[in-house]
Amino acid sequence: MRSLRREPTLLLALLAIAGLVALFIVYPQIQVILTPGSTGYVDFLTGGTWVRPLQNSLLITALSTTTAVTLGFVYAYAMVYSDMPWKPFFRLVGILPLLSPPFVVAAAYILLFGPRGIVSYYVFGQSPNILGLYGVWAVQTIAFFPFAYQLIADVLSRSDARMEQAARNLGAGAWGVFRTVTLPLTRPGLGAAILMTAIYVLEDFGNPALIGGFFTVLPTQAYSLISGFGDLTGAAAVSTILLLLALVLYVAKIRLDGGRSYVTVSGRASSMPRPPVPAAASRACFVACLTLAALILMVYGTLVVSALTVAFPTNLRFTPVHFEYLTAQNLSLRNTLTYGLAAATISAGFAIVAGFLVQRGTWPGRRVLDFLLIMPAAVPGLFFGLGYVVAFNQPWLDWVDRGALIVVALIFWNIPVGYQAAVAGLRQIDRSIDEAATSLGASSMRGFRDVLLPMLRGSLRVGFVTTFVRAVTTLSLVIFLFTPQTTVATITIFQLVNDFNWGGATAFTVADVGMAVIVLTILAAVGGRRGLALGAARA
Amino acid sequence: MPDVTPVAPITETASLRLDHVSKRFGAVNAVDDVSFEVPQGAFATLLGPSGCGKTTTLRTIAGFYDPDTGDIFIGGRRVNDLPAHRRGTAMVFQDYALFPHMTVRANVGYGLGVQGVGAAERAKRVDETLAFVGLTGLGDRWPSQLSGGQQQRVAVARALVVRPEILLLDEPLSNLDAKLREQLRWEMRELQRRLGMTFVYVTHDQEEALSLSDVVVVMKEGRVEQIGTPWEIYYRPRTSYVADFIGTVNLVAASVAEVREGTAVVTFGSQRASVRVPAALTLTPGTSVRLCIRPEALALRAPGAPADGVVLAGTVARSAFLGDLMRYWVVVDGREWIVDQPDPGAVSPFDGPVGITVRPERVHIIAEPS
Repeated sequence: MRSLRREPTLLLALLAIAGLVALFIVYPQIQVILTPGSTGYVDFLTGGTWVRPLQNSLLITALSTTTAVTLGFVYAYAMVYSDMPWKPFFRLVGILPLLSPPFVVAAAYILLFGPRGIVSYYVFGQSPNILGLYGVWAVQTIAFFPFAYQLIADVLSRSDARMEQAARNLGAGAWGVFRTVTLPLTRPGLGAAILMTAIYVLEDFGNPALIGGFFTVLPTQAYSLISGFGDLTGAAAVSTILLLLALVLYVAKIRLDGGRSYVTVSGRASSMPRPPVPAAASRACFVACLTLAALILMVYGTLVVSALTVAFPTNLRFTPVHFEYLTAQNLSLRNTLTYGLAAATISAGFAIVAGFLVQRGTWPGRRVLDFLLIMPAAVPGLFFGLGYVVAFNQPWLDWVDRGALIVVALIFWNIPVGYQAAVAGLRQIDRSIDEAATSLGASSMRGFRDVLLPMLRGSLRVGFVTTFVRAVTTLSLVIFLFTPQTTVATITIFQLVNDFNWGGATAFTVADVGMAVIVLTILAAVGGRRGLALGAARA
Repeated sequence: MPDVTPVAPITETASLRLDHVSKRFGAVNAVDDVSFEVPQGAFATLLGPSGCGKTTTLRTIAGFYDPDTGDIFIGGRRVNDLPAHRRGTAMVFQDYALFPHMTVRANVGYGLGVQGVGAAERAKRVDETLAFVGLTGLGDRWPSQLSGGQQQRVAVARALVVRPEILLLDEPLSNLDAKLREQLRWEMRELQRRLGMTFVYVTHDQEEALSLSDVVVVMKEGRVEQIGTPWEIYYRPRTSYVADFIGTVNLVAASVAEVREGTAVVTFGSQRASVRVPAALTLTPGTSVRLCIRPEALALRAPGAPADGVVLAGTVARSAFLGDLMRYWVVVDGREWIVDQPDPGAVSPFDGPVGITVRPERVHIIAEPS
């Protein structure tokens, strides 16, 4: 690239980005893959302990993805196509699960349907064993259908309303238009949405950990190999299998949608008028959405009630005691906020600069850097976190603050969304804008700072919000990285659930989600009327 | 009359010099061994159809592309190794490329800010420049609140205010409607004269090139086809490509019969004419050439009417009324000639058999076998 040779600052920035990507994205992952060594892999693979978890993972991914996508599709279709009432309400309810750790659904599920669940025991007098395949399936369906809804609604709302109007004008009915025009046109996008949901399910650690029982999947096996047996080799091998599966899904997804890794989630309806659907269909949509929204609200309502009562569900007397406990044990919440804000700020900034260098650059090797910046979206949090343990949990690095390590892991694990947003934003800005700045005497970096950066505020916000939300909601990334001093809210919730301290766990969940809502509300207020864009988060 | 060129020949020091510049994109020779000079204070135009390499040449001068071979000199200094932002070449873009998040004032002041000019001085120069381009009072507007013509003026002001060594303009008028384009064309020329600044202007519009330029560089497929004053380009095209691209022309196959001092006797069809030979051309008898005759240099007359010069007998095939002139397509010996009749209201239209008068001094020879 011409300008790299002539503009040392540009070259330095590029080298810095490439170096950081190599150090914090490539190196830790290679370390994990290399950990078992060839003999380790042979021993592990012949040992056969991985076969069952692999089968389970594939099974549960197929089951949960199918149901989550089906429900998500219904919700999305209703939101985009029907003229049912209460759409703003349904939209808000649909956003809520994105702001909370998905595994809290498992906690609510236990409270509702467990051996002493309010529905199972106190309504029906049953003490069912909900642990296992069906429990995980039910919980993941509820936990991930809102994600599927966001992805599918994004795809559907991008379909061209004019084409649908034209088909209606040529005599097709509402369903006919959807079947013959909308579906064929949106098939790649829908396929990508399904694959992305499958990745979320495949990588889910918290729900199977809480409710899986003896139903072990790859992420929970990797975790128990380390926490139970200290078997780093086995955990690395299992995680590598998990990574390979996720990569296969992700590569298929990229082939379908070209690598868009985020959707815009905002509180407003799209203004595009759609051809009307029959009133009966709208009523059916309304009933379906009401049911699904009730399900979501039941989950979160249970958590709120549990947080505010003495001992849910036996003693429903109001008490603030759980929140007092929370203020006493506020280290993990403070850590979550600090790490989340720090990681979100740095990740968003880094992603924008990287997007600028890659999208505007003409130097060789930019395709490689582009791929490396997108890839973390396919890497299971568990694997990414394990990589940091293997690579950086070294005696000679003891002086490094473990909290800083978590922040760095959050920064680079969450690069893809901000990066993609930056690239998409830059594609909207004609190069003549940069060239105008250059021809007026500004160096490339100066032009970027003065001209492009202010125009990329939307992309910057996407990166920030997504990283922050994922930092607040992730369990799998930090499960190997935290120390007593650097614990975070999701870890505390997970530990409290495992201790059956439901009051504390739910109070922490409410505080964690509440914190995310407050930060995002402040951001939305500061950001004005642009609304919030947010990459779909996951645990 | 035909030997007069109304613009002084190039003698001043060159503000811009391209020396055997080439630029390839993959298999395409976008710019192929281009050399030319633009004197200080001249208005130079790169003219050609889309894909001829004119914009690539401009962007190479600006430093947005690196030439594969060849050198570029600005103000006598070789700039190949200077990054775009240190070349002193401000550019006006086809789509203006105004910064949408800055007011008009901030847009125009941007380059001064980069140079480190203080706020007071900057405000003064911005206001001066806005007044200069007729935008006084619009400084606090946003680009989106301006009309196309106003945006274009802001783009020019933003580039002018940094006092570049050379102002580069990439089809700056092509997004405007015809009337406005013509008005701004004059403003641009006026501006350039007043500032005495070197302009390099890219256009595919031959009328724009002729009316604005001191020097026109006609390009074709990455190569320079001809460099000259508008007058030379129009009346003394070196190739039939240039003749055909600039305006309408009759290109007639002919053969050289005799060569005398400065003139040649050429035969075309059954006609003979004695025609002046361009200075750069050496002809030998028997050579095939092309005769370049502009439609307005021909005249129609009733068949058999007496006339000077060569008269071709033909038949009007069709005609078109274009307002300021009447255009006739006349078939002579199976070949169509285009003849323009000025002030069509003064005579009654021709039809049927006619005579075309060719004045030999208005015939230009192109050394190109047909």
